[in-house]
Amino acid sequence: MIELIPGRTSQAVLLIIVLVAIYEASRIASKRKLKTRGIPGLDRIDGWIEEAAKLKRPVFFTPGTGGITDPDTLAGLALLGYIIDHCLEHGAKLIVANSDLQVQQMTEDMVKGAYIKAGKEKEFTADMVRYVSTRQFAYAAGVMGILRREKPAVNFFVGLFQAEALQIAETGRTEALYQFGGTTNTDQLPFFMTTCDQTLIGEELYTAQGYLSSDPDAISKLVGPDAGKILAILLILAGALLLTFGNSFLVYLLGL
Amino acid sequence: MAEEKKKMSRGDLGLQIIIFGLGFFYAIVYYIAVPGVNLQGVSDELLTYITAVLTAAFAIGVINLTRVHWINIKRKRATWMFSVILLICLYSMLIFSLIASPFALDPNATVIPSSVIQFSTPIWEFLYYKILVNINSSIFSLLAFFIASAAYRAFRARSVEATILLVAGLLVILGQTPIADVIWPGFSAIRDWILAFPNTAGQRGILLAAALGIIVFSVRRLIRYDW
Repeated sequence: MIELIPGRTSQAVLLIIVLVAIYEASRIASKRKLKTRGIPGLDRIDGWIEEAAKLKRPVFFTPGTGGITDPDTLAGLALLGYIIDHCLEHGAKLIVANSDLQVQQMTEDMVKGAYIKAGKEKEFTADMVRYVSTRQFAYAAGVMGILRREKPAVNFFVGLFQAEALQIAETGRTEALYQFGGTTNTDQLPFFMTTCDQTLIGEELYTAQGYLSSDPDAISKLVGPDAGKILAILLILAGALLLTFGNSFLVYLLGL
Repeated sequence: MAEEKKKMSRGDLGLQIIIFGLGFFYAIVYYIAVPGVNLQGVSDELLTYITAVLTAAFAIGVINLTRVHWINIKRKRATWMFSVILLICLYSMLIFSLIASPFALDPNATVIPSSVIQFSTPIWEFLYYKILVNINSSIFSLLAFFIASAAYRAFRARSVEATILLVAGLLVILGQTPIADVIWPGFSAIRDWILAFPNTAGQRGILLAAALGIIVFSVRRLIRYDW
């Protein structure tokens, strides 16, 4: 007999409700023609890559120090797919630097696979996807070295970043590169904002893929998470109001 | 998506089922229990396999580093000398770590002669404690200078937002200093208010949205369904 673990039952129920709301909102939105407000900067990616190709300078990408289980890293890799396609389209050389070994394997597969698919297998070289180091500051030093020595035109650093983010970003700034950053780490976001030309803040990281797509169906899928957010905001408001008036029913309910 | 589904081979489908099954199992174990079956134990045991995968992945890292830097040396690229230094450091550290570090292969000198271990131990200690640790600290210390230059850029009052940031930043910095309370006791209170309310509210907004984003993103990845 399957039992729900006490203290987690309401979490499971809430998760199901949120997922259903997200799915339904996406389904309803897919029947309407929607326009997005857009995320500033995403539309500039293509232009930057094109400029890098014209300048014959590489495009640099790093997904940070997160592992393959970190959602930020996965979101970064989703953006990498888009960057690879545009590098191939414009003939810009791509350099990817990794800190995690499994991410290294995955990015190598992604880049190599895209080059094979585009019939440009011979253009793919081993030094395009590099493992730097699992050690945080050795990785930072390695990335700073690549930015200084190989002088890419664009620096994309989208994923999970800690203290090394500012070192990478400031080096890129010194080299006057176009910089595109993205993370959900609120401790690092202020540094991203001050050093990058464009920054994906928090949740934008996960939705960037949808915004980049011109497919109306993909755009409708952005509505779903907003429904989840509205639900969460309503719950927070209800909880705050109830607690203000001395009623802890919602706290009790969520603790079940 | 539909095109992708058509192209999926039986092998890919099998792999997807395994991926989904394992992912779903890890997720569901957090919520449910089956009396008499230690589901959490199974989940924890399966996690140990990650160690095996990671060990194999380390070899991939060493191979990649060697390959990339060997090409640099072979083609005599502008920075080939750095590649020589990197490879020497990589392999010497690897060899001495395998012989003399706390994670040595043969600490009891069953196969490796004890004289070799005795010879290697001070070298490993020198490489690790006198070089690696210090270099690591040095790179970390660079952050102080990077923060100063980033702060200088952020605190230029070019717009209303930047001016608000400048004023808030200066008040927090001032509130942190011991002299602030001597000048005016209100500085500490202002610092605490900025950190506790506007700062926390902004951070929680980002975190809340990111948490929901993670849920949707993870489920989307798990079931390979794009919504």
